[in-house]
Amino acid sequence: MSRAISAGTSPNVVVASDDKGVALRGVLDIHTLPAAERALKRQITQLKSSGLDVSNVETLDSPGALFLCELRDAGVALSGVRDEHQALLDLICGLKFEPLPKLKVVPGWRQVVIDLGKATDEIGHDAYEVIEFVGRAGTAVVRALAHPRSLRMASISRQIRETGIDALPIVGLMAVMISIVIAYQGVVQLRPYGGEDFTVNLVAVSVLREMGVLITAIIVAGRSGSAFTAEIGVMKAREEIDALKVMGFEPIELLVVPRLIALMITLPLLTFFSDVMGLLGGAVMTHSQLDVSFLQFLDRTHQAVDTSDLFVGIVKAPVFAFFIGVIGCMHGLRVRGSAESVGKETTRAVVASIFLVIVLDALFSILFEKLGL
Amino acid sequence: MSATPRRKVEPILSAHGIVNRFGRQALHDKLDLDVARGEILGIAGRSGSGKSVLLKTLTGLHRPNAGTVLFSGKTLASMSPAGRAACVGVLFQQGALFSSLSVAQNVMLPIREHTALPPPDQEKVAAMKIELAGLPADAGIKLPSQLSGGMVKRAALARALALDPRILFLDEPTSDLDPITATGIDDLIRELNRGLGITIVIVTHDLTTLVTVCHRVAVLVDQKLVVGTIRELKRSNDPWIEELLHGPRAQGVMRQEKRTHGNG
Repeated sequence: MSRAISAGTSPNVVVASDDKGVALRGVLDIHTLPAAERALKRQITQLKSSGLDVSNVETLDSPGALFLCELRDAGVALSGVRDEHQALLDLICGLKFEPLPKLKVVPGWRQVVIDLGKATDEIGHDAYEVIEFVGRAGTAVVRALAHPRSLRMASISRQIRETGIDALPIVGLMAVMISIVIAYQGVVQLRPYGGEDFTVNLVAVSVLREMGVLITAIIVAGRSGSAFTAEIGVMKAREEIDALKVMGFEPIELLVVPRLIALMITLPLLTFFSDVMGLLGGAVMTHSQLDVSFLQFLDRTHQAVDTSDLFVGIVKAPVFAFFIGVIGCMHGLRVRGSAESVGKETTRAVVASIFLVIVLDALFSILFEKLGL
Repeated sequence: MSATPRRKVEPILSAHGIVNRFGRQALHDKLDLDVARGEILGIAGRSGSGKSVLLKTLTGLHRPNAGTVLFSGKTLASMSPAGRAACVGVLFQQGALFSSLSVAQNVMLPIREHTALPPPDQEKVAAMKIELAGLPADAGIKLPSQLSGGMVKRAALARALALDPRILFLDEPTSDLDPITATGIDDLIRELNRGLGITIVIVTHDLTTLVTVCHRVAVLVDQKLVVGTIRELKRSNDPWIEELLHGPRAQGVMRQEKRTHGNG
C-alpha cells in the first residue's frame, strides 16, 4: 500500500491505492460518502484503467450504492462485490431517475407585484363573500325569530354559557385593568391644571361610552369568534356539514343561527358587566390616588354621565356581536378539507372580526356625534 | 412467497415484558416479541386490541408501563438523535408528510439534519429515494396536498427510507387504497426488503398483505402476541385467529396465493 487516505472519524472509509489498483475499505454510507467521493474523484483516470476493488467494504447503504453505480456508469469496473451487497447494487443501479426538476425562480419585484394583485383580488372576493353571508345569516336569524318554535333552545343556551358565563372572569379582569390605566393617566395629566377631580368623569364617560363595549367585543372576538370558526371548521373538514345537508338540515339554521342569537344576547350583558367592573376599577383607583370615597365617586359619576351614555355603549354590543358571529361562522364554513385550513381560517376570522369591530365603533362614534347623543 | 429461510441470529428488535395499561384496562400484558434481521413481520389483531399502541411502544413514541424494547441490544433512548433516525423509520398511517414542504424537501429534511452530505448530493439521494418508492420524478416538487392517497404512502415511504434505517415500521400501508394501488405497495415492500435487506414490521388489517408479504405474523390476542407463519397460525385454536384465517375473506386470498405459488 503506497498511499492510504483515511476520512472522517470512526466508522470510516479508507481509499488505498497501489500498483495493482485502487481498493475501498470500511464503511461506505451516507456519513462517509463525501470523504470517499473526494478521495476517489482525484484518481478517476487511474480508476478507469485499474478498476475499483470493493471486496473489503463492510457496510454499504443506498447512497453508497448509488455512488458505486455512478462510478460503474463512468467506466470504472467494480471488482469483488460481496454477495450481501449484490442485491442492493442491483436494485439501486436498476433505478433510472432524473434529477429533481427545478422550481421556476420568480424575481423579487415580480413576486411583490403578483402578491399585491392576488391580495387585492382576494379582498374583493372576501368583501363580496362577507356581504353575501351577512345577508344569508341575517335573513336566517330574522326567519328564526319570526318562528320562535324553530329556535333551538338547547343549542342557544349552551352557546350562552360558553360565550357568556365562561367569559365573565376574563372580561371583568380586563375592564378593571383598562379603567385603572385610564384613571392613572387621567390623574397624572389633569393634575397640572388642578383638574384631577375630573378623573372620575374621564373614567365614567370613557368606560361607559367606549372602553367597556370595545374591550368586551375584542375579547369575545378572540375567544368566541375563533371558537365558532374552529368548531364549524372541524365539522366541515370531517364532512359533518355534508352529512347534515344530506339528512335535510340547513347548516346555517342549525349551526349559525343559534350562535348568532346567543352572542347577540350575551355581548350586551357582558358589556354591562364590564361597565360595572370598569367603574369599580375607577373607584378603587381614584380612592387610592385622590382619596375620593366610594360614595363621592358614585355621586360624581351620577353627575358626569346619564343613561344615554350607558345606552350609547350597550346599543353597539348586539351589532358587534352579530358581525363577530357572522365572521366566525363564515370562516368556519370556508374551511376546505385539511386541518391546516382550520388554523388558517381561525386566524383570519379573529383578525377580520377585530378589525370590523373597530371600524364599526368608529362609524358609531360619527353617527352618535351627528345625532347629538 | 414466505419461503425465505429463517436463520437463528440475534434479533434486530427484541421487546420483552411489555405492559401497557390505560386506567384499569390492560392492553398488553407481559408481551414478548423478537424480530429477526431481514424478515417481514406482520402485526394483526382486532380493532381496539392495541396494535397502534404496540407500534408506538416499539418505535419509542409511547413509554410502556413495564418492559423494554431493544434494537440490537440497545434502547432507543440510549442512542443519539441521529442514531435513532438511522435505526428506525416509520411510515405513519396518514403519511404525516410535512404539509408546508415539497416531497423532496420532506425526504431531504432528515438527511440535511443528520448528515454532512453536500446539497447537490442530498438532492440526488432524495431523487433516488423518490424513484425507489416508485414515484415519478416530478412528484418531488409537489406538495403533499397535491398527491393522491397511494402517492402519499409512497412519498411517506421515501421519507421513512431517507437515512436507510435498519428497521422500518409500516402502519397500515395499504389502508384507504384501491386494490391495484395496494398490490403495488405490497410489491414495493417485498422489493425493498429484498434489495435493501431492511427489516420490516407491518401493522395491518389487510389479509392480502399478511398472507403474501409477511414471513411471519404476530396476532394480538388476549393482551399477548401469538407469532408464527400463516401456515402455523392456521392450526391455532384461538377463535379470532381461526375466524381471521378461515373466514370468507381469507379463503379468497389463500386460493389466490396457492395459485401463484403453484405457478411459480
